Amino acid sequence: MSVVGLLFLLMGAMAVGSALLVVTTARLVHSALWLVVTLGALAGCYLLLGAEFVAWVQILIYVGAVVVLLLFALMLTRAPTGVQTGLTTGNRVVAAATAGVVGLVLVTVVVAGFGGARVSVDEESVGSATSMGDAIFRHWVLPFEVLSVLLLAALVGAIVLSRGRASSGEETP
Amino acid sequence: MSPMTALPVLSETASAVAPAQAGGVYSLLWLVVALPAVSAAILLLGGRSTNAWGHLLGCAAPIASFALGVLMFVSLLTRDAHDRAIEQHLFDWITTGSYDVDAGLLLDPLSMLFVLLITGVGSIIHVYSIGYMAEDPRRRRFFGQLNLFVAAMLLLVLGSDYLVLFVGWEGVGLASYLLIGFWQHKHSAATAAKKAFVVNRVGDMGMALAVMLMFATFGTTSFVGVSAAAEGASTATLTALGLLLLLGACGKSAQVPLQSWLLDAMEGPTPVSALIHAATMVTAGVYLVTRSNFIFNEAPTAQTAVVIVGLVTALWGAIIGCAKDDIKKALAGSTMSQIGYMHLAAGLGPIGYAFAIFHLLTHGFFKANLFLGAGSVMHSMNDEVDMRRYGGLAPLMPITFLTFAMGYLAIIGFPLFSGFWSKDLILEAAFAENLVVGFGALLGAGITAFYMTRVMLMTFLSPKRWADDVHPHESPRVMTVPLLVLAALSAVGGVLYLGGWVVDWLTPVVGEEHPELGVPVWVISLAAVAVVAAGVAVAWVLVAKRDVPREAPVRVSVFTTAARADLFGDALNEAVFMRPGQHLTRSLVYVDNRGVDGTVNGLGGLIGGASGRLRRLQTGFVRSYALTMVAGAFVVVVALLAANLS
Amino acid sequence: MIAVHGSVLAQEIEIESPNIAYSAIYPILIVFGVALVGVLVEAFAPRPRRYVVQTVLAAAGLGLAFVGTVLVAGDLPETQNGLARGGIEAEGALAVDGPTLFIWGAILLLSFFSVLLFAERRLESGVTAFAGQAAALPGTEAEREASTRGLEHTEVFPLMLFAVGGMMLFPASNDLLTMFVALEVLSFPLYLLCGLARRRRLLSQEAAVKYFLLGAFASGFFLYGIALVYGYAGTVTLAGIDGAITNRVGGDGLLLAGIGLMAVGLLFKIGAAPFHAWTPDVYQGAPTAVTGFMAACTKVAAFGALLRVFYVAFGGAQWNWMPMMWIVAALTMGVGCVLTLTQTDVKRMLAYSSIAHAGFLLTGFVGVQAATRDSDDMTSLVAVMFYLLAYGFTTLGAFAVVTVVRDSSGEATHLSRWAGLGKQSPVLAGVFALFMLAFLGLPATSGFMAKWAVFTSAWAGDAQLLVIIAVLASVITAFVYIRVIVLMFFADPVGEGPTVAMPSVLTVVTIAAGVVVTVALGVAPQPVLDLAHQAGEFVR
Repeated sequence: MSVVGLLFLLMGAMAVGSALLVVTTARLVHSALWLVVTLGALAGCYLLLGAEFVAWVQILIYVGAVVVLLLFALMLTRAPTGVQTGLTTGNRVVAAATAGVVGLVLVTVVVAGFGGARVSVDEESVGSATSMGDAIFRHWVLPFEVLSVLLLAALVGAIVLSRGRASSGEETP
Repeated sequence: MSPMTALPVLSETASAVAPAQAGGVYSLLWLVVALPAVSAAILLLGGRSTNAWGHLLGCAAPIASFALGVLMFVSLLTRDAHDRAIEQHLFDWITTGSYDVDAGLLLDPLSMLFVLLITGVGSIIHVYSIGYMAEDPRRRRFFGQLNLFVAAMLLLVLGSDYLVLFVGWEGVGLASYLLIGFWQHKHSAATAAKKAFVVNRVGDMGMALAVMLMFATFGTTSFVGVSAAAEGASTATLTALGLLLLLGACGKSAQVPLQSWLLDAMEGPTPVSALIHAATMVTAGVYLVTRSNFIFNEAPTAQTAVVIVGLVTALWGAIIGCAKDDIKKALAGSTMSQIGYMHLAAGLGPIGYAFAIFHLLTHGFFKANLFLGAGSVMHSMNDEVDMRRYGGLAPLMPITFLTFAMGYLAIIGFPLFSGFWSKDLILEAAFAENLVVGFGALLGAGITAFYMTRVMLMTFLSPKRWADDVHPHESPRVMTVPLLVLAALSAVGGVLYLGGWVVDWLTPVVGEEHPELGVPVWVISLAAVAVVAAGVAVAWVLVAKRDVPREAPVRVSVFTTAARADLFGDALNEAVFMRPGQHLTRSLVYVDNRGVDGTVNGLGGLIGGASGRLRRLQTGFVRSYALTMVAGAFVVVVALLAANLS
Repeated sequence: MIAVHGSVLAQEIEIESPNIAYSAIYPILIVFGVALVGVLVEAFAPRPRRYVVQTVLAAAGLGLAFVGTVLVAGDLPETQNGLARGGIEAEGALAVDGPTLFIWGAILLLSFFSVLLFAERRLESGVTAFAGQAAALPGTEAEREASTRGLEHTEVFPLMLFAVGGMMLFPASNDLLTMFVALEVLSFPLYLLCGLARRRRLLSQEAAVKYFLLGAFASGFFLYGIALVYGYAGTVTLAGIDGAITNRVGGDGLLLAGIGLMAVGLLFKIGAAPFHAWTPDVYQGAPTAVTGFMAACTKVAAFGALLRVFYVAFGGAQWNWMPMMWIVAALTMGVGCVLTLTQTDVKRMLAYSSIAHAGFLLTGFVGVQAATRDSDDMTSLVAVMFYLLAYGFTTLGAFAVVTVVRDSSGEATHLSRWAGLGKQSPVLAGVFALFMLAFLGLPATSGFMAKWAVFTSAWAGDAQLLVIIAVLASVITAFVYIRVIVLMFFADPVGEGPTVAMPSVLTVVTIAAGVVVTVALGVAPQPVLDLAHQAGEFVR
């Protein structure tokens, strides 16, 4: 097994292990921090596969933005930060089974979808900024642009639902 | 106007019509339908400003249509027998490649007779209504709806395509619904209207499926196309078509098993009962069967079904008629029964079609006459309908009495009156076909004589039983003149059969076949007269020889009870359709709202849910909805996999 | 140095600009563009002017997009031996073909009239029917203040335009990814709009949350289905999936599971059983104008997408999915019809009726009657598209009528409050009766022609049993609609009875449009049938 292969295995194990901790730890903040590790390990996997662009995007957006947002949310609301009992409900077996089945099916899909196709990691390929840019801004440009419309709509919605007294005081904008 | 072409109906010679003959009158065919339709639109949408002259316009429209109809009839008479089918194309209704529906009208001997009946009797009843509805503040609306009915009925009989016919079919249903419920303030009227509409929908379902089946197998729904295609079609298809059409006919014509609505429909104003529920709309089923003769002729099973339905209804209605104290309901039972006779005749095939239509015409005269007479009586008796509160009216209302008597003699088949001829012909055809059917029909004639004599005696001849505050009087002239006209028609309607005219007239449409009897014709006639005489005699003994109590006796035989309850028609409907339906609904609602919840969350969830529901006026939980979805998705996927991978 | 480096980069990566045929897709761009302008108006225009500016902008934008759609339809090239017209545009993301344009036209027309309903102000004495301040909790001082100051959310107009854009994109998507994005774009603003009622706000907010949660759930199914189909075909383009299905013989678990899960997502949007549970609650809770908009437009868009996916991508596997769709159609009609019977609230009744109509539409869909070279019979596509247009206008009109029947607490939606409406306002009751008769399928109304079209196409497509079930179901629904008519005309009003508020010309125009289309499509359906027929098949 090559060094890359060994590292990949390691990263993978790390991702799975920390993901388990995310859902089993008794402190919400810890859970969020374990999520950082999971996502980071995933980024490592991407990097090892030669998808450097995707890897950095993963770090920037998921670790840098999403989890931080999560932590902010935990801090700004009055969510308890201490040890919580009763976070794990009686449905855990069902939930685990569901997650397992979903994972299994997805693995099947990936295996079936790509079959025996092999991609050399040494060559610059699917995950690079070039190919990603090419795909997003040429082939998928319309859905991409429409997604920005979706985000705008969500933004407008969020403002409508949340803007309260702050604006009600003003007479004209 | 649109170009006209002649239409070959079961005849090859009628390929073209000389334009010189066709030009003038027939190009106005669309006006026959349009006049009442426009008048209805004006009256219904015009508002109060039309109140003053609304009833006059309402009468003028059918009279004008009748005048046009007479012109065309005269013109048709001058044409060759096989040349009497005129089609008028109005516009392309649906065009999708190989399947086209033209909105077109077809005038042939069959529809001609109907046009005359509808506009003729319709006009008389319109005029009568001026007097009958004089004090009703909503008289203008009444005339509007009556015009709407006439227009729809004319479209029904003039349509050249089953789909156009269906439009008229639903149109008369709607008009009938509106008019039954015309007196909205009466709860019973609203209920009756709803019942009529819903029961009719069952029949309409048969119609809709029949039309769909025609389209699917023949690729056309026009009369010409279907009649041409029917020759090569399989018996199974034709039988299915015939049975479906019969279902439609049963709904509209109140035949067993869809008879239950007609008695309740008497809640409508009496002119409505006379026009729609006696003379015209309820006979649409007979028209349908006769019009579809090219289907029924090739489908003996369906024909047998028609005969059975007709015979059963003929007796069923007659028995109900014997027990009713409400004069209109007694007459309604009689209507069912008479239409049963028509179906019976139509089910016999070419031997009976013309007789069915002949009886339909005479029945249109005498039954309209009887209903209007009953209306005249009610009018003078403060809208009392219970015959036990009548009696001795003959000297007080001489014209009503005499005209009613004409109708009475016609319906029981008194020799030389119109009903005598038409019923006699049906009996002949029935005996020629099957002895059981023949004797059944004969028995029906006897019962008819019994209950009509009972009506006659209880209303006009027996000692007076009305309260002191009732002052019976003869009706105004605007009501009695129509009665006189109809009475004359009831008496002499038999002239249509003079020299076999009506049969010859209809032959190009329905074909011809003469009944072959083992006995001379006069034997049947004599037997019929004897049975009728017996019925009258029994009525005389049972009604005239005793006092008629003012209140209906409670202790009566099982048979009377059954007949009073419409032979348990409603109870049957309730047991067979309504209760299972209600159970199904309840259980579905239960599953939809609570079942899922209950199984998942147990009793606690149910109680919590119930209080939550009360608080928020909301029925469901998101989680149970989501669970339904998961279950649904699971079933969908598993079913897909199981069905395809096994 | 930097300049040199830049030029090297430019040499290495040759950026090909995407090939977008703006001349074919500009109706969508107009709608999105106007929505963006609307957001800007929200930011910069003074509050008192916003209402007028937004209303005019939205109506004009939709009108313009409709004109654009007509112009685009004018010069569609013929393909596939003349069976279809149009082409694949925007780098394969959109299929701009006859059916797409027909559906666009229908959506734009219906949403134009929905805008008029949205803009109705007279019924709430000078403000729209949307919450004055959504952030204010129900029943608080802030809410009262917002209402006394006459605040209103004019953001509803751009939000609605976003939804319309998504609805146009949804049936036009030529690959599953675009379709998923479109699904989200159309759903998201609707979730929000549902929660913005001015009256009965708790009910409205609950409806919004329910719709959001269940909608997200359904989207999850849809996405999972896409993943499975991708696993099977190795591509997400519809033509690619079709190719994969035709080349591989026999059923494949992955494909079937994918079809099933994608069907769940689509059937949810349509409101077909057993994925219908959200419909009554959401229809009841949402502001009535939004309900009308959803009932009319969402159904059109979702059916368009369903038709495209199942006819174009999964057409080769139709024998695999047809039995499932049969059962779903029958179940939907059964549930819709039977449960309509027991409703006591007008909006819930219309919701269940929309479920029943979804079943009728599915009946037409299951027929799978495709066009062929030598015959031009009624195809399933023509029938379903005609039905959608007819039903859309009738249901929009019916909901518009619901907005004007009011009592002191807002709309009087409980059916008992409708008793005696015929005496109060014969014209309005007559109009509602007409809509009921159209739902019922009485001849000479659009409902009859629509039912006739789907039933005949289904019958010709060997779905006779389903047609019989459908006819039976429509007999059952007769009870309901007749009950409403009897109630309005033959029953005495309870208590004071409802009052019919006089709406402004906006609502009147919408109701009138409903009446005109309902009658016109019943009496002379031919032009619209021709139009649907000319649209041809989907391009592949």
